[in-house]
Amino acid sequence: MSHHATSHTPALKMGLPISNGKLGLWLFLGTEIMFFTALIGTYIVLYFGSPGWPTDPEVTHIKIWAGALNTFVLLTSSYFVVVAHESMALKQYGRAWRFVALAFLCAVLFLGIKGVEYYGKFSHGILPGRVPESDLQAVQMFRIDWQRQMEHELNRLIPGEDPVHLKQATLSTEIDETQDAARKRELQHWMDLNMLFVKYRDDISANRVTLPVAQARVFELRHTGTFSVNGADRTGVLVTPSDLKALAHHDGDAAVTALNLPEIPAGKAALKTGENNWELVDATQVSSHQLAYQGLLGSLAVRHPILFGNLFASTYFLMTGFHAIHVIVGMILFAVILLQGPWLGASSANFVENSGLYWHFVDLVWIFLFPLLYILPGNL
Amino acid sequence: MVHDTLNEHVDGHPNVKYFSIFIALCVCTILSVLFDLIHLPSLILVTLVLAVATAKALYVMIYFMHLKFEGKWKYIVLAPTVILALGLIVGLGPDIGMQYYSRDIPQAKWSQQQHHHPGAAPHPDLPPSSGH
Repeated sequence: MSHHATSHTPALKMGLPISNGKLGLWLFLGTEIMFFTALIGTYIVLYFGSPGWPTDPEVTHIKIWAGALNTFVLLTSSYFVVVAHESMALKQYGRAWRFVALAFLCAVLFLGIKGVEYYGKFSHGILPGRVPESDLQAVQMFRIDWQRQMEHELNRLIPGEDPVHLKQATLSTEIDETQDAARKRELQHWMDLNMLFVKYRDDISANRVTLPVAQARVFELRHTGTFSVNGADRTGVLVTPSDLKALAHHDGDAAVTALNLPEIPAGKAALKTGENNWELVDATQVSSHQLAYQGLLGSLAVRHPILFGNLFASTYFLMTGFHAIHVIVGMILFAVILLQGPWLGASSANFVENSGLYWHFVDLVWIFLFPLLYILPGNL
Repeated sequence: MVHDTLNEHVDGHPNVKYFSIFIALCVCTILSVLFDLIHLPSLILVTLVLAVATAKALYVMIYFMHLKFEGKWKYIVLAPTVILALGLIVGLGPDIGMQYYSRDIPQAKWSQQQHHHPGAAPHPDLPPSSGH
């Protein structure tokens, strides 16, 4: 300052009239704009280059209400953040802290809703590289899923580190030796199901399995068991009209046709005890049933083919995933502010402002992701 | 010097009715959803939805990020990235708008076969119902 007084030379104005932190953040946001533009641009190119891109919400499990709700949550959080920034300027630090806390809670809520959406996709197998795109891929994937399920159940029944073939031998031995009737039955069911799997695997290799046949196969397995019909125990596949309705709804009429069933009148059920000999029985006379493979099959199902489902999953998870990472980083910034508690003061004004700027950018990205992922597909 | 300037800036926090901006943003979001629900022609829907998204983005940038009240440095910092971002989209234009190559996609062939053979029973989850 004394230098100014003596030399009368004007002070040099170095750099921009903003803090280094704010300048750095804006430059960072500049790179972020490029980053998300590249992601969105790639998504648009892939979308237009893939005729048949999945857009039906029943297929993609894109929930527009969840996207709209998350947009509202982020907008609300942006409002809270800007009020927190304003409060810092007015030296109302307690108020600023409370609004940052509210913004933090909004971020948690956003991730929660996103988690619900992700779960919906995980549970339907919509993951990059995990979506069959044709009938052939679906039946081949079903073979892999079935094999995994068999091994999973084998490991449950015969715990230990032995390889699969040794466990199978152990299981076979135990069937002969065990005195526990329930366990014996379960082990035998695994053995029977494994034989059916081996046959299915051979059929696939010989190109004898179509998608409806695979779907009908799972349906039959799930309805295989021992039934008390007119007081007599019968073993086979028992199908009621409501079962068929559920199959047609889930897998389509082709799967029902593949069962080669006779028409089932009301009040009747179809029972198959041999290779293909369905007989009609009085549904009211079926007094009890014990399904053989239901437990062993777990949630096993033939996945529905989705054309370009893998590209869809890749772009969806890439864009929303990177956005979610940004949300988490924003939460860390908020946490740094919140940890100051009652000590939050003027020295944190820049940090609060810069965190707010970052958070508004997170909001900005979602403002474009929401229409591009939730509204526009199917309308272009 | 920078610190002094900042204090001045912080003390002179722009007087903006943030709640009104927030309400405007919520209304825009509701409009986007409504456009989707009322089944507009595709071109109009896309134009409206993107226009609303752009309006929302401008609201956030101008008022919440205070770009309206910042100095001219904002142009220096943001111009390169905006030009490059727009350039990227323009550069991708041919890939988006022009199909100058022939497609050879096995899955798509299979899908077409399904539609040409009614007996093959196309799956309910498959195009054309799901396609664009």
